[in-house]
Amino acid sequence: MLGKRGPLGNVMLAVGIIAVLFFCVFPFVQILSTSLKYQYDWGNPSLIPDRINLEAYAELLGFGAPAAEVEVPASVQRLLENPDLSDEQREAILARFVDTSDIFPFPRYFLNTLLLSATAAALSLILAVFGAYAFSRLRFSGQTVIQRSILFVYMVGGVLLMVPLYQISVQVGLAGTVWGSILTLVLIYVIQTLPVSLYMLGNYFRTIPYSLEEAAQIDGCSRIQAIFQVIIPLSVPMLVTVFIYCFIIAWNEFLFASVFLRQFQDFYTLPLGLQTLFVSKNAIWDRITAASMLTLVPVVIMFMFAMRNLTGGLSEGGVKE
Amino acid sequence: MATITAASPAATAESTIERQESRLGWQLVAPSLFVILLLIAYPILYNIYLSFFEVRLTDDNVFVGLANYERLLSDAGFYNSLGTTAIYLIGTVVGTTLMGLGVALLMNQEFPFRNVCRGLILLPYFAPVISVVFGWQFIFDPVNGIYNHMMVEVLGLANERINPIAEARYAIFVVIIFDIWKHFPIAYLLILSKLQSINRDQYEAAAIDGYGPLGRFWHVTLPELYFVLGTIVILRLIWNLNKFEEVYLLAPNVQTLPVFTYYTAFTGVIDQGLAATVSVVQFLLLVFLIYFYVKKVLKW
Repeated sequence: MLGKRGPLGNVMLAVGIIAVLFFCVFPFVQILSTSLKYQYDWGNPSLIPDRINLEAYAELLGFGAPAAEVEVPASVQRLLENPDLSDEQREAILARFVDTSDIFPFPRYFLNTLLLSATAAALSLILAVFGAYAFSRLRFSGQTVIQRSILFVYMVGGVLLMVPLYQISVQVGLAGTVWGSILTLVLIYVIQTLPVSLYMLGNYFRTIPYSLEEAAQIDGCSRIQAIFQVIIPLSVPMLVTVFIYCFIIAWNEFLFASVFLRQFQDFYTLPLGLQTLFVSKNAIWDRITAASMLTLVPVVIMFMFAMRNLTGGLSEGGVKE
Repeated sequence: MATITAASPAATAESTIERQESRLGWQLVAPSLFVILLLIAYPILYNIYLSFFEVRLTDDNVFVGLANYERLLSDAGFYNSLGTTAIYLIGTVVGTTLMGLGVALLMNQEFPFRNVCRGLILLPYFAPVISVVFGWQFIFDPVNGIYNHMMVEVLGLANERINPIAEARYAIFVVIIFDIWKHFPIAYLLILSKLQSINRDQYEAAAIDGYGPLGRFWHVTLPELYFVLGTIVILRLIWNLNKFEEVYLLAPNVQTLPVFTYYTAFTGVIDQGLAATVSVVQFLLLVFLIYFYVKKVLKW
């Protein structure tokens, strides 16, 4: 009864799909293309580079040209000629005259971001496993209220907490030191991801048949042991997915990193470092787009990994009904 | 008394188990709850407290009553920012929903490589903001960007190359398009999964009743999608009211409320008391939206 698509319909469908795909993918292609172009080629609308330029990537990954030396003033030259100076002191003085404003320590920022995100994601996951177990398996007074307030909390964006959290950490004395700031940041990433972790894991735990846990309890496990021996092994795909979700949120975060890490340049995360690089320099399109690509790739890989894991379905083989 | 205890040993055992379960439940939730109370609930209250103070960075805060609110209400920048936020919210929510609906209808058709296409569409949604904003800046760059090339040299719609991101009146539209690009995939995903659950019989029945494709869309598809569309609209309003990074990183001169708060709190003449006040106003707007969401969508 429903008519088949005519040839006109097919053409319209094809045009529509191509337009949508173009809209979605074009910015990525543009970024990739610019990251591989030489400066003279940037204004060329063609997406295929005239000649492939890998310098930006090489420089970011640390194989690039060393930092440019700035001319050392004559007075300092004389100072350096002083024979009493040890080699160490001489190097320390010279180091001040190396132009570092041009260097973007990508590997360092990458590692900072990686450690920060992984720590926050792991903490969030641990808290969420127990919380989600309580929500999905146990009945306790006040449960509904707590579950609903967590949803509410999820909708309160970081911007609203920016000023009070900064003020609190200043007053507690955390904002003044590197490690205090990092600790604050980790905690902030944990709470930003915790509501969704609780929600995702809770829903997943409900799909694990209770009979498996009962069997473990009959075998003498306590409830806590049952979590470790039944729930966690059966939830590995979902645990990985939730971890990746938390990781990606922390990996992308800019606002709080900019508030708490601004004064500690060595501890910048990638988003903060990239933004600083972007506002501080002109004519660096190849580097900024190459850095964009390098920030993007881990996320895409993790995303693909999470997708594949989601289809795991470990508990299917666990019970025979 | 004695009869009750004697009559229900099973009930007593039951309630002991219940009590044990309840205690375990609280123990397991406690760490999460503690972190959330400490880092979300307390800061929200503290923020309201701060809004009544002149916040000094090196000195003790001074209580100023409603002075921050008075200053805010006479601040042209604040009204400007409210207006910008309104345009941003309307533009992004309408755009995201319509685009999501259109693409979901398209992707619901049968065609070759459909799965690959569905995956590619999700790419903008998963890409980190930081890794795509500079690419978008490049597209609109006055010297190298493809946008100016198209507008001036190819289509001839403009006489000279402009920098749309540097001018706030154009930049707001760049920011809106960017947000639609980034977030229509999630709208599309939600709508598509609802579309796929609509029973084909309903379309058959509507076709028998003499409805054409448009009529079927109007009388079958839309009513089925009503709920999911409502959810998308209200959730996008909530998220975008909170949105900072996408706006600030792409076009720092587009001052939606969060960006306005950020500038007030951390740049130029730092005034965190006033920033706290803006946050209170934004929080009230948010609570209103969440209340609406809870009542109309979740129906608690």
